[in-house]
Amino acid sequence: MGARSGAPRGSEPASAVTAGTAPVLEVEDLRVRLRTPRGPADVVNGLSYTVGPGETVAVVGESGSGKSVSVLALLGLLPARVATVTGRAVLQGEDLLTMKPERLRQVRGPGAGMVFQDPMTSLNPVLTVGRQLVEGIRAHGDVSKEAARSRAADLLGEVGLPDPKGALDRYPHELSGGMRQRVVIAIALSNSPALLIADEATTALDVTVQAQIIDLIENLQADRGTGVIWITHDLGVVAGIADRVLVMYGGRCVEDGTVDDVLERPAHPYTRGLLGALPDLARPAVDGVVPDLATVPGTPPAPTDLPEGCVFWPRCPVRGDARCEHEQPPLVQIQGLDRHFGPSGLPHRAATWCTEPTSDTGLPASGTGSTALGGDR
Amino acid sequence: MSSDVLVSVRGLEVHFPVRGEGIRKKGAGVLRAVDGVDLDILRGETLGLVGESGCGKSTLGNAVLRLIPSTGGSVHFAGTDVTSVGGKGLRELRRRAGMVFQDPFASLDPRRTVAQTVSEPLEVHGLRSGRRERAARVGELLELVGLDPAVAGRYPHEFSGGQRQRVGIARALAGEPDFLVCDEAIASLDVSVQAQVLNLLRRLQKQLGLTLLFISHDLSAVRHISDRIAVMYLGRIVEIGPASAVGSDPQMPYTQALLSAVPLPHPALERERKRIVLRGDVPSPSAVPSGCRFRTRCPYVFEPCDDVDPALQPAGAAGQQAACHLHGVVGTPVERTPEGVTAEP
Amino acid sequence: MTGAPVPEPGGSPDTPAGAPGTSPVASLKPARPRWRETLGLLARNPTAAVASVVLLLIVVVAVFDDTFAPEGANEISVTDRLQSPSWAHPFGTDDLGRDILSRVILGASVSLKVGFLAVGFALVAGTMIGLLAGYYGKWVDDVLMRFMDMLFAFPAVLLAIAVLAVRGPGSGNTALAIGIVYTPIFARVTRASVLGVREEVYVRASRSVGASDWRILTRHILPNAAPPIIVQTSISLAFAVLAEAALSFLGLGTQPPNPSWGLMLAEGRGYIELAWWLAFFPGMAIFLTVLCFNLLGDGLRDALDPRQRTLMAGGGK
Repeated sequence: MGARSGAPRGSEPASAVTAGTAPVLEVEDLRVRLRTPRGPADVVNGLSYTVGPGETVAVVGESGSGKSVSVLALLGLLPARVATVTGRAVLQGEDLLTMKPERLRQVRGPGAGMVFQDPMTSLNPVLTVGRQLVEGIRAHGDVSKEAARSRAADLLGEVGLPDPKGALDRYPHELSGGMRQRVVIAIALSNSPALLIADEATTALDVTVQAQIIDLIENLQADRGTGVIWITHDLGVVAGIADRVLVMYGGRCVEDGTVDDVLERPAHPYTRGLLGALPDLARPAVDGVVPDLATVPGTPPAPTDLPEGCVFWPRCPVRGDARCEHEQPPLVQIQGLDRHFGPSGLPHRAATWCTEPTSDTGLPASGTGSTALGGDR
Repeated sequence: MSSDVLVSVRGLEVHFPVRGEGIRKKGAGVLRAVDGVDLDILRGETLGLVGESGCGKSTLGNAVLRLIPSTGGSVHFAGTDVTSVGGKGLRELRRRAGMVFQDPFASLDPRRTVAQTVSEPLEVHGLRSGRRERAARVGELLELVGLDPAVAGRYPHEFSGGQRQRVGIARALAGEPDFLVCDEAIASLDVSVQAQVLNLLRRLQKQLGLTLLFISHDLSAVRHISDRIAVMYLGRIVEIGPASAVGSDPQMPYTQALLSAVPLPHPALERERKRIVLRGDVPSPSAVPSGCRFRTRCPYVFEPCDDVDPALQPAGAAGQQAACHLHGVVGTPVERTPEGVTAEP
Repeated sequence: MTGAPVPEPGGSPDTPAGAPGTSPVASLKPARPRWRETLGLLARNPTAAVASVVLLLIVVVAVFDDTFAPEGANEISVTDRLQSPSWAHPFGTDDLGRDILSRVILGASVSLKVGFLAVGFALVAGTMIGLLAGYYGKWVDDVLMRFMDMLFAFPAVLLAIAVLAVRGPGSGNTALAIGIVYTPIFARVTRASVLGVREEVYVRASRSVGASDWRILTRHILPNAAPPIIVQTSISLAFAVLAEAALSFLGLGTQPPNPSWGLMLAEGRGYIELAWWLAFFPGMAIFLTVLCFNLLGDGLRDALDPRQRTLMAGGGK
């Protein structure tokens, strides 16, 4: 294969999550209840996490797990008519959930920027890219039009748009999907937010473009110390970008910990199932035969109709405890697994009654995959 | 070899006329969705067709089944030319070759029950006479795809995405086809459900001896399910070979970049992995670069890339072919006309 | 977990597997719970529900008009001329001493018959034209729709007058005239709806298994394109009743002495200061019928809206 010109991955996000640093965001017991025609739906049920400066927290889950709603709720983007949000979400010392709407609007730019899956929905199709950027910059600071415009061009250059000055006068539809997403990121970053929320930001993009965007965000994050919440269903992306991972299922956090702990030593049967269900390029064929994927039977529950007990038990292949069907397991540090604390000293927690060791579940034994692919290179 | 070929594609082209936009109407252009594809699909194999959005993989799959008319070249299915067959022959093609679509929420008629949907091919081709026989066959088919036959009387909206996709597969199998095109058949499903459908397709392929064309943008899934992989870029197949070879030791720079960009769920591995980040965007299929169509983004671009349109040539493992001059300059020289052959992106 | 067919467990709410009441062997009988669902949604909308009940009553009265009408339509009684509403004549009597209640009831059948015939004609013709134009597109679309545009461009009343001038007045011809006038509306509504449905993946899926054009049109496109057509039918019925009244008012529709609401309105006009009930009661009958058809149309529009359905069916976020 010879000379492969590979650019090194973006520098490792600083693991600045030591005990002393004040977190950018602190979420405590976040709950969201939506009114639906089918009755109340508990979409998020008691979510707690923190995001430190320069840290990336990945929120992983399938559709209906409540992962997107949980961040929309943080920024007050759910219609108040149907949503009841309780708990605490402190962004740089202020509680977002009790904040007045005007203040929240001010906070959204400089405090927390947001990037959604479909860039077309966050861009106004009838305004030029420059106009939208300038508006964002001037809304949160007393800047002259000219200064804002030159800053906008700088930002577009920073997110890797070729010919940033020319791009200012383009309309969103004149740009490709990847370029549009860069513009959205530039808008989100225009006020140097302390927190960046990316909701399936690369899901609609091709993998090569996704790689570009992930690199971009990692580099920007390293430069600015931005905290990032990365919402995705893609565990591959998580492995590459996250410091910590929070696995959501049925509106609850079923497992959290460092990315290595959760992906290499998963404790919750759901996390294990999710990992086993992934076709994995790094998993080699055995004697030329690719084994079947381990699957999680059934489909995720509807938030209007969550099971009693452990949220996962109707689909759980383990069900190793009498309490599974009746009592909801608390999110606690894992006992009996290799250690209480991951290498980083951060806790690894799971909400399950069944915490027997990983090895006999028939899932990809962690580590072997790495060596296999490592050998290829 | 040739006796084992079920589907033979030669020089297939699907070009769409493009109208200029708004005031800047520059006259008719051509969008080359599929632009000269040669491909043999062997009986009983699963061929994975992978590529990024806009590369023409879906158009190719549809053109092979003549669900989209082709504008050039030929497709032979079990000896008959698909592009010119009509009447009875076309109906026979429709029975012997099925399609599984991407969006399980859109591919089932919301006003027809599962039984009505699955039995449509039976009625169309007169495969089972009488209601009772058809109902029994529908029950068999549902069981085959892992659904309870009791759900036959229900409507699509009562099912989850994965279950709907199973219904879609049952419909595609109803005519007892030899060949199935799966067009992004798992792309709209949740991860855990994707695995269920992938396993199902693999099982059916073995059990029924099907030939599968599995079209997807997801290299991991393609690698998992396929015997061979074909990689498509801008309307052309740029690499093809055994799944193990293409999936681990690709010979075409584009495939290498694609493979390196696939995120893997292993944090330690991801940290030390070298990722090839390509420059820029895929050029528009209405302005295909001359010579090698990947040259505008290729990290290894050198002289012949501008002038010679590379052909597939043996490279790497046995049976592996790549369209790249790094393995020797093979291909069609570009004819230069005064106006220039193609637009520079 | 792999290999053998695994019916997904019935635990999750979306899973219909294992639900009771379905026979174990697939029944190919086209069950129609969708209609029941639509009716259910309609019943939840109180306005539309009331409108449907009132319409039903009007139709029943119109069908059994002879039973309900206390007197004949043309029982003249010179002694009872222009009597105001009383117990003997709840709606009063007209200038010839005819009972207005009886004439309103008997007129209902004429007005509704013309309405239903007209809309029926427009529905069949317009839907067929729209279906063909929308599905085949290209020159078929051009030819058919340009013809519809020409019809549409004609002032409706003028067109109706032209038809009646050629064929002579009478309720059958009135219905035909109104039907021709409304055909382009149905053609347009159908075509627009078909254009959307034609591109659906399930239509392509049906083609991929070899279904013929006819099969695709009748089994997939028409049923899925139907909701806006049904709504249009209800609203057009309202307009048709009005149009019949207008034409009769102009003397081109129903001919005296047959009762029709529009005609009665026209006849009562001369006595408006002397005996208001002559025009008032037929007017109210028109008003009530038209209002109810419109309300029903609105209700149907909501009930047939796919967004309403998904809201009902899929929990989700």
